Amino acid sequence: MLSAINYSSMISFLLDGTVKAVELFFLTIVLSLPLGLLVARLRMIKFKAVQLPVKFYLLIMRGTPLILQLMFFMYFPPLVLGFGVDRFMVAVFSFTINYAAYFAEIFRGGIESIPVGQQEAAYVLGLSQFQTFIRITVPQVVKRIIPTVAGESMTLVKDTALASIIGVTELFRNAGSLKATYSSVIPFAVAGLFYLIMNSVVAAFYSRVEKKLNYYKG
Amino acid sequence: MRLKKGIALILTMLLTGSILMAGCSTAAKTSVTTAEPTAAATKTDNTSAVTESTKAAASDDSLAKVKSAGVLVLGLDSAFPPMGFLNDKNEIVGFDIDLAKEVTKRMGITLKLQPIDWSSNILELNSGNIDCIWNGFSISEERKAEVNFTDAYMQNRQVVIVRGDSNIKTLADMAGKTLCLQAGSSAADALASNASFKSSLKSVVELSDNVTAFMELEGKTSDAILMDEIVAAYYITQNAKDYKILDESLADEQYGVGFRLADQTLRDEVNNQLKAMAADGTLAKISNTWFGKDVTVIK
Repeated sequence: MLSAINYSSMISFLLDGTVKAVELFFLTIVLSLPLGLLVARLRMIKFKAVQLPVKFYLLIMRGTPLILQLMFFMYFPPLVLGFGVDRFMVAVFSFTINYAAYFAEIFRGGIESIPVGQQEAAYVLGLSQFQTFIRITVPQVVKRIIPTVAGESMTLVKDTALASIIGVTELFRNAGSLKATYSSVIPFAVAGLFYLIMNSVVAAFYSRVEKKLNYYKG
Repeated sequence: MRLKKGIALILTMLLTGSILMAGCSTAAKTSVTTAEPTAAATKTDNTSAVTESTKAAASDDSLAKVKSAGVLVLGLDSAFPPMGFLNDKNEIVGFDIDLAKEVTKRMGITLKLQPIDWSSNILELNSGNIDCIWNGFSISEERKAEVNFTDAYMQNRQVVIVRGDSNIKTLADMAGKTLCLQAGSSAADALASNASFKSSLKSVVELSDNVTAFMELEGKTSDAILMDEIVAAYYITQNAKDYKILDESLADEQYGVGFRLADQTLRDEVNNQLKAMAADGTLAKISNTWFGKDVTVIK
């Protein structure tokens, strides 16, 4: 049992973990990007009543460790509120609201970098605030923030390892279990390789998106 | 044209997102159904635990709940050979697993193994994600305050392991040396209650599990490990390592199965099953398979 490594079963177990990590990644990205955009927009509204809660949310999410947030959302509901929660859903939820906070600030930076003159021009041309935002501002913002979003995505791929703290059987945890089975660090080395492969795909994807959006200069 | 491209991109993202979410919500529904019985059990258990009422038999339906759900959820650190670990087919096996399988078979229900983070074991138990902790779980006074233990089923000692070529022979020789152990384990508790020994050490390294501790020993970054004798003996035999276990032990302790404080009926049922297994020799048989002798202590 604690002996020579059965490579095919090790790889298959690590692949199971990789699939979990990939699922976590996609769900988080798909949910947190729109949420981040929404939060960014809310953050820019002039009402204190809207701004203060949003600022508070951003502070908490970015100011406390993600690993602690995961533990909080996993154990607070059953112990204090009295209902059970599914591990994987907790991970998706926690990652989503955490990354949405980071994306919100990234979006806001991008939005505020668009010259105000464009808004004035759009107003003169008869476009509503909403139309201006969706059809003029956002496409330009997307192009500008691609490098930063790419970086955050790569961080997310690695952050999926944190879900192991609440028992999600993703890549890092599976590597850890295998380490006990074979008394070897080789599973970790292979896991590291898998993370690298995942992130290479992510990097290549964003590189393509950047090229496609480069249909004009500036 | 460019705007349409952008909108198309956003729509595709949302579409993919909703498809993925639909797929996942089906998966979530199945897991929620299995989680519900334990969640419902938590509501009753938490109320009784919080108000600190005595375990009135009338309100304790823990056994009934588990029987109607047809499954007992066992929480373990699946990196703890020989009590619970992965074999090379990636199945969770171990001495405790064999015991649990036999007990649940006799109870007429299935066993569900839930890997957890060991340092959150009692947290997982109290939040209802698992029904019991069964993983070389040492009985101690502090743990008794939070966990309802069965009778002890196995004896164990906290011992110090050193390399074969080391000149450390007694606990006194450990003065000025580095000791490592698993964080949150009863080894850590044993060390904490042995102040004079602890203060004689150069440093104490806390690691996430025992296998990492063995790597520290192998790599000479630590001089000794403090851990359960049972696990150490198994590891040393399996890997044919030249490690020595010191004669002097730090704490004598026993393993038990841990349940929520209010789950008296469930705990009693498992306890009775273990007793029955001891009486008819099944317990000794399982022990022989793993340890070559009968190390169980249940009467």
